[in-house]
Amino acid sequence: MASSAGAANRQVRISRIGGRYLVFDIDDVVHIRRHHGMCAILVGTMPQNPTQSIFLGLPIELYAEEAKLLVDKKAAYIADDATDHLSQLKTMDSSARKAYFQSLKAQRKAAQRIFEDSREKARARHAHKVLKGKPEPAEPSAEADDTLFSSKPSASPSVVLEPLKSPAVTPTTSNLLIPFSPSDTTPIQGPPTYPLYAFLNARGYYITPGLRFGGDYSVYPGDPFRYHAHYLANCYGWDQKIPMLDLTTSGRLGTAVKKGFLFGAEKPVADAADAEPDTTGKNVRVFCMEWAGM
Amino acid sequence: MAPDGHLEALAKVVLNNLENQHDWTEAQMHTPANLPRPMIYGLPPKRLYVHPDEQIAIIKAEKNRSERIPQTPEFEWVLPTHLAEKWSPAQFAAVFDAIDAIPPGGSSEDDSDSAGPEDVDAQWKLWRGSKRGKRLLLATVQDDSTVSYYFMFDGLVKPRQN
Repeated sequence: MASSAGAANRQVRISRIGGRYLVFDIDDVVHIRRHHGMCAILVGTMPQNPTQSIFLGLPIELYAEEAKLLVDKKAAYIADDATDHLSQLKTMDSSARKAYFQSLKAQRKAAQRIFEDSREKARARHAHKVLKGKPEPAEPSAEADDTLFSSKPSASPSVVLEPLKSPAVTPTTSNLLIPFSPSDTTPIQGPPTYPLYAFLNARGYYITPGLRFGGDYSVYPGDPFRYHAHYLANCYGWDQKIPMLDLTTSGRLGTAVKKGFLFGAEKPVADAADAEPDTTGKNVRVFCMEWAGM
Repeated sequence: MAPDGHLEALAKVVLNNLENQHDWTEAQMHTPANLPRPMIYGLPPKRLYVHPDEQIAIIKAEKNRSERIPQTPEFEWVLPTHLAEKWSPAQFAAVFDAIDAIPPGGSSEDDSDSAGPEDVDAQWKLWRGSKRGKRLLLATVQDDSTVSYYFMFDGLVKPRQN
């Protein structure tokens, strides 16, 4: 891990793949769990041989609200290969183009040198066999090798070769083509429950999906490895009409699983157009419910 | 109050239920300012709610004086609602903004002016005074006159260890 100062400015790379937010770097995973209170879920497995859920590994998948909160806190950036790749290719200027061609040429030179080295070795081996006086069995394969790389078949292995054309190279990565730009922190769209998530996260609560207790979120007072959940939480709109039966059933359910039922809503503010995104849920108001036992 | 007659009737159903089924005393209707419907406050026969942190304070104090502290009941707010209603968070916020933490009939047992923060014996009393958060009993009436009661708290209040 980096030092605490380094940890504060650490930029987590979140890859957006197929509309999902994934983190592949184990240091990033540790960082967001320790410093941002996000557990996310492990989703990695081998496609050919899927494992049971408890054996899943990297990457972890973040929920949209987690990814949004990290980006809003300027602690992460979204890397969306599919769209960034195309857009950056389209906006390339001529100097970048030239630099790329230069790097391709360098790659081809390097490849050529390797080819020549291997040819030199093969020829040395062959010459050794000729000296021994048994040239026939090795001849056809050596011929075949030569014709692959030179324009005309060499008459004899001892003939000096003319300089080869540089071999064609198919690049396997485009990272020379596209400049690395971690500054892309455009805010992303969160789900409607985002304000409540930000509110609870800012107050040190750890949040996991709430299906197992029947709500939007399960809310833990610390790392879920150490604590039981305190609440099952739902987020509503400020003026959303909630049927009374929903409140009483959730309240009863929460009490049945020894938790409180928490619901919250974000109060709309007049100057909603202010530039700074709200990462603490300062306009969120929450209420807790418990069965009264009477 | 002709248009609000049904709300009055609803509150009366809850009031009757509190007095006759749950043995509440001193229960009465009260309409806080800025609130369109009557609420109820009253005294339950035994104490209904102890905050988990208050429980810790009580245990400490009991250990200190090596005898049990009697838990006298506290006045509670009741908000009568009907099952067919739909409430928004904005409405609940308005109710909590309109009430004080301690209902008019109750009195604060907080004598923190005389006791310092180190006084273990006085800590638990704060929960009946300055530390008491806003809470109410959400009473939901169904047509068969069943009334269910849920505590509702303003803000993040950790659940009891039930």
